[in-house]
Amino acid sequence: MPDDSPLYIPVILGTVRQGRMSERAARAVHRQLARWPNVETELIDIAAMPLRTDGAGQDIKDPAFAAQMTRADGLVIVAPEYNRAAPGLLKHVLDTCLKEYIHKAAGIVGVSAGPWGGTRVIENLLPVLRELGLVCIFWDVNFAQVRRAIDEQTGELTDPRQAERIDKFIAELVWMSRTLRHGREQVALEPRPA
Amino acid sequence: MNCPKCGAAMNHHAEKPVEPITPDEERRASEGGIVIVEAHRCPRCGVEDARRVTLSYV
Repeated sequence: MPDDSPLYIPVILGTVRQGRMSERAARAVHRQLARWPNVETELIDIAAMPLRTDGAGQDIKDPAFAAQMTRADGLVIVAPEYNRAAPGLLKHVLDTCLKEYIHKAAGIVGVSAGPWGGTRVIENLLPVLRELGLVCIFWDVNFAQVRRAIDEQTGELTDPRQAERIDKFIAELVWMSRTLRHGREQVALEPRPA
Repeated sequence: MNCPKCGAAMNHHAEKPVEPITPDEERRASEGGIVIVEAHRCPRCGVEDARRVTLSYV
């Protein structure tokens, strides 16, 4: 029987900086994803995680985060662009898991204060996510000039077209998450030809 | 691999190459082997599991 239970697709807020504008972007995407039928989500704020620095990789795995990644069918990663790259602590957190990610979908939300909308951090993250075993979708969300993109008081998007772009992104991520769940459950690796 | 929760045969869906970390994995990798993480999911109850395996091509 195919597993038709709700998909679990958390949103990872990938920065710990004070005053981070990415939080508004993450909350906007999370709010929109939460309205999606047959999807369960939550916001995972890496600033609220115990970030150990006395080791690296899977040696410092946080059990709660690992359990969330095991349960996940897909991920939304919200990443600001800091000097053309992803925040170091986001990479530090992502590196603590591996088996939990394999054959699961990932979509990236890039955030920048300038006009490029985090395009370069998205390019920067793609090979990292692939190495972790995640399957990246081809839609991204770009928050350019993020201070203007989201109303400071209400948290609402200032451009309604951005909501449409986010829905396109979510639709692709949901499809990929559902398809990969089916594959993980039902489609076995082909044996090596004799 | 059987499901640790319900005992059903799990679906083996991925073999992800990874870096060797133990001395035995490093030795076998130096002899031409490759370390993988085998990923499995239970088609009955949805449990996910994985194990490290070193494949030998020598």
